[in-house]
Amino acid sequence: MINFILNGLEVQSEEGSTILDACKFYGIEIPTLCYYEGLSPYGGCRLCLVEIGNAENSRLVSSCTYPIEEGLIVRTNTKKVVSARKMMIELLLSICPQSKTIQDLASKFHVTSVRFPVRHEDCVLCGRCVRMCKEQMQGGAIGFTARGNKKKIETPFNIKSDECRLCGGCIYVCPACQLRCQGPDAPTDVCSGCLALEPTCIQTHDDYQCWMGTTGDCGTCEGRPDQTKKIDKR
Amino acid sequence: MKQYRTHMLVCAGTGCVAAGSFKIKTALEKEIAKRKLQNEVAVISTGCNGFCERGPIVVVQPDGVFYQKLKAEDIPLLVEEHLLKGRPVKKLLYVPPAEAKPVPKMMDIGFFKHQRLIVLKNRGRIDPENIDEYIAFEGYQALEKALTEMTPEEIIREVKSAGLRGRGGAGFPTGRKWEICSKIPGNSKYVVCNADEGDPGAFMDRSILEADPHAVLEGMIIGARAIGATQGFIYVRTEYPLALHRIRIAIKQAEEYGLLGSDILGTGFDFSIEVKRGAGAFVSGEETSLLAAIEGKIGIPKQRPPYPVQKGLWKKPTNINNVETWANVPHIILRGAEWYSEIGTEGSKGTKIFSLVGKINNTGLVEVPMGITMKDIIYEIGGGIPNNKKIKAVQTGGPSGGCIPKRLLDLTIDYESLKQAGSMMGSGGMIVMDEDTCMVDVAKYFMNFLRDESCGKCLSCREGTQRIWEILDNITKGRGVAGDIGLLEELAAATKDASMCGLGQTAANPVLSTLKYFKDEYEAHIKYKKCPAAVCKQIISSPCQHTCPIDTEAPQYIAYIAHGQFDKAYDIILKDNPLLNVCARVCHHPCETKCRAGQGGKPIEIRALKRAAIEYSNGKKHISKKKQPTGAKIAIIGSGPSGLMAGYALANKGYAPTIFEALPVAGGMLAVGIPEYRLPQKALEEDIKRIVRAGVEIKTDQKLGRDFSIGQLLKQGYRAIYAAIGAHKSIKLGIPKEEMSGVIPAMEFLTKISLGEKIDVGGRVGVIGGGNSAVDAARVANRLPGVKKVTIIYRRTRNEMPAYAEEIECALEEGIDIQFLTAPTEIAVDDGYITGVKCTKMELGAVDESGRRRPIPIKGSEFVVELDTLISAISEQPDISFLGDDHDFEISGWNTFVVDRETLATNVPGVFAGGDAVRGPSSVIEAMADGKKAAEAIDQYLRRKEIEFEYSVTRPSVYVEPVKLTIKETLESTRQEPRKLETKKRSNNFQEVDLGLSKTAAVKEARRCLRCDLEVKEQDEKERR
Repeated sequence: MINFILNGLEVQSEEGSTILDACKFYGIEIPTLCYYEGLSPYGGCRLCLVEIGNAENSRLVSSCTYPIEEGLIVRTNTKKVVSARKMMIELLLSICPQSKTIQDLASKFHVTSVRFPVRHEDCVLCGRCVRMCKEQMQGGAIGFTARGNKKKIETPFNIKSDECRLCGGCIYVCPACQLRCQGPDAPTDVCSGCLALEPTCIQTHDDYQCWMGTTGDCGTCEGRPDQTKKIDKR
Repeated sequence: MKQYRTHMLVCAGTGCVAAGSFKIKTALEKEIAKRKLQNEVAVISTGCNGFCERGPIVVVQPDGVFYQKLKAEDIPLLVEEHLLKGRPVKKLLYVPPAEAKPVPKMMDIGFFKHQRLIVLKNRGRIDPENIDEYIAFEGYQALEKALTEMTPEEIIREVKSAGLRGRGGAGFPTGRKWEICSKIPGNSKYVVCNADEGDPGAFMDRSILEADPHAVLEGMIIGARAIGATQGFIYVRTEYPLALHRIRIAIKQAEEYGLLGSDILGTGFDFSIEVKRGAGAFVSGEETSLLAAIEGKIGIPKQRPPYPVQKGLWKKPTNINNVETWANVPHIILRGAEWYSEIGTEGSKGTKIFSLVGKINNTGLVEVPMGITMKDIIYEIGGGIPNNKKIKAVQTGGPSGGCIPKRLLDLTIDYESLKQAGSMMGSGGMIVMDEDTCMVDVAKYFMNFLRDESCGKCLSCREGTQRIWEILDNITKGRGVAGDIGLLEELAAATKDASMCGLGQTAANPVLSTLKYFKDEYEAHIKYKKCPAAVCKQIISSPCQHTCPIDTEAPQYIAYIAHGQFDKAYDIILKDNPLLNVCARVCHHPCETKCRAGQGGKPIEIRALKRAAIEYSNGKKHISKKKQPTGAKIAIIGSGPSGLMAGYALANKGYAPTIFEALPVAGGMLAVGIPEYRLPQKALEEDIKRIVRAGVEIKTDQKLGRDFSIGQLLKQGYRAIYAAIGAHKSIKLGIPKEEMSGVIPAMEFLTKISLGEKIDVGGRVGVIGGGNSAVDAARVANRLPGVKKVTIIYRRTRNEMPAYAEEIECALEEGIDIQFLTAPTEIAVDDGYITGVKCTKMELGAVDESGRRRPIPIKGSEFVVELDTLISAISEQPDISFLGDDHDFEISGWNTFVVDRETLATNVPGVFAGGDAVRGPSSVIEAMADGKKAAEAIDQYLRRKEIEFEYSVTRPSVYVEPVKLTIKETLESTRQEPRKLETKKRSNNFQEVDLGLSKTAAVKEARRCLRCDLEVKEQDEKERR
């Protein structure tokens, strides 16, 4: 067992576990996107960042890939972590606002606007599909090609693959394929954020007053700031 | 080895090869054989000499003579004169910039003299493809010492105490890295040399490999011994074919000599080196990517820990160092750590190689001791900035680095100080930037590079660099909005904090560093839609129109002239400029300094063409009927260019402006400051008439303070006041006895002459100063009857004289003597009257913050210039005596009005100020721009109290069809210069000296215009579709 310090608490974890493993064990919530249980960690989405080291020499690392070490100091919700995390979510929203996974992350971590021109692409290059295909389905039909802003996931030379068995594993794990609901505010870049909402009607009634749970149509929800906020489109 | 009496060392680094040095070598060999000298003179090709600006280069040894910019045709003369007759050929030698005499010996040339060659000691001296030459210059002696006299621990200790730090950019202590790697147990260890060198503009590593590859090999073998490695790799980028070629030859030769392979030097130590080629990715310069690439995998960085020294190639301990780091090692071993640690600073030992590129006279490769100042590199070694442009910043560290602004040039070069300034040492790229470089464009350029080169794994780097680039792209296209800077800073912080590898973590540096020091340029682009360097095409349209303070549509009037349509050209000019006759003669044409035709050629004669349009059109008959003013009364104080322009603009808006002028004539500096031979009174009167007819009233002999006060004007119902009183008071010299008779302030002198008043001027006149008023005063004095000799005394050199170059040229033509590097110390008097001025000679010392060398007096060089009259013309200030003691205006330390930069409003409501009264001695066109702005501000002030300007990108009001030139015409066209009155015809009269262009010359010159505006027109149309 390895001893280290997690959010000020002295904790222990098994050798070989990552910071993320330890956080999950101790119930500390870390947002993730490219991480998928059962697949090897990738460390590309930069959502699971935590701050390690003491204050003067601290740096942010992806908790899903960083192995715990004896005496490591880990903090999961520092100012630096929170602002980096929010920017990552904002960038994700600007690529693929139609993904429910990403919209849920936005509402959970209080990202309420997107200040970049939205591209409406259907891939955020999290690499889940690549790892699913290779590691879980023993296929290896797709992979990353090119680099930088031209990076893509496709079959070699973008031609039909003989390795692909049409198992659908890639679609299953893809966050962009999990489309957001078409509820109120559907065309906006940031959705209403069903996750973050706490309707007040339940304080005066026996049940929730709207079947969606959160649209505020009944008028008893207190003024929701994100419903009146207009997205800065350029 | 065969003995020769002379060696001709032909530089064969990539730069010189591209300039044709192999041809020079062949020509030399041929000529030498022809002259039967082949047994006396050897021709050897060497690696890069470093002075790449001057290639092809040949160094003659043992003379040490340096030949540059050679052509094959020069060779017969060179052989004849130098090799046979022993006389170096003057015209092929190097002449330092702004000097006249050539410097024959290489070690006397500033570029070489101030360098300290350790790593590059063999450059230009040996044939890199011959191991014997390397050995002859102490080559492989360090290896022998390390293998036979030292233990691995001793080697590491030596490198540690030498204080060598990684030269690849991060500066990690090399000895410590070796120590960590050596302590890890295991038999399989690797050493790697990083020769990927991806930074744009950096070619240090390339030069080392091309000039002295064995130095790198020797260092690696020693390192391998210290660490316990048996296999080494050199990873060279494919884009370096010559370096690859030479390192492969070097390895083969080393193997043949038993210096690589098994049982090296018979010590039982086995070590071999393999060369690996890069595949065109900047990210493979990052160590974990590089290792992945060597393993045959895709070059994507890995998380650290584990560090390569722990788990590197194939999970074995691997020590990676940069080419330059390895090349330092033999010197440390051979001469000892103590010797090495005496060079450099406390935290940064040894030397560093920089590739000095950009806007610098001496482009090339330099090796300097750590601790040298940036200033010394730029001026002593680099030779300063070409074309008399002003330096703006120096970019170091490549795309991961930042800019050092000109005010920090005293910075000493070492790892810590560069980091503190917001940049970094990096691998040694040093890009010099001048006033024509746009810092926002620089940030965009680096961002474009990085978004392309990012490996793409981390969202923060991949998207961060892309989004930052998008915002910068918008800003440079005039689409920036408030909030962009804040967003850039947020993105930069996120990219930096959240990315996994060095590329992402430093990707935001170009933006952060330019924002830190040049935020005003960003604001200019975003808010004011201005690119001060006139680079961002979508903002500027054409640099001439953009740079003109009053937005004159130069390309359009030039285009009309090219078509021979002078009337239409005249209309374009008049549209924005009522003082066109004035500007066509005396404007200092900032447009021409940014003219694209002037980059690598001669700028278009934009001002002379303006005059041609006026002269050859019928437009001057256009003077309209006098308008009756109807709107609110506005008072303007001063009828100089600023007041006149303000009056004209206000009248056109419907107001009733009245100009109050203190002198008996209208025109301000135009009438009494600028002499008749530059601006004839008739031309000025024509323009003033036009302005008056537009509805402007001018009252002369009305002096502020004597005849009226600002308070009185407001009481009389003037709704706003524009104070454009100019800067007419010459400031004192500050030397003893300047109150004597015979010492006249320049402005008083010029004004009295213009007004025809009597003034006592003796036969010998001296003028102190170097600006326009000094030269004007000198040229005027020179024309007065009775004046025999005029001398200008200036404390700096001709290059630094602020007066317009064309004025200085005319002064010299007219026989005026200019004593440069001379400063006055005291007036010589006799009997209460001046007899001369005591002066001391100056010499140029160190460079100060303005980028100019500060003049220091030479002791014992005092002398007297005998004079009858002395005119002081060192500078002017506004005369604010009218203000009295108790006033509300905010006045600066230079007696100028302090105003809001955007609205020209003073702190007193309703009172605005502009022109020289705010700027100090400035220019006609800038004063006019202030007048135009003040009119706009007053208009808004009166209509709704809130003054808010809207800014838009520069575009012409109309696009004139371009003319079609034949290829012959394009190749043969040269700049048509206006004719000047013959010098001998100028004595004792005030006839106009500039006679303008002839009609045919004007059309010819106009056809030279490159029509920069059309490119942007095309872009605009493309975007609309």
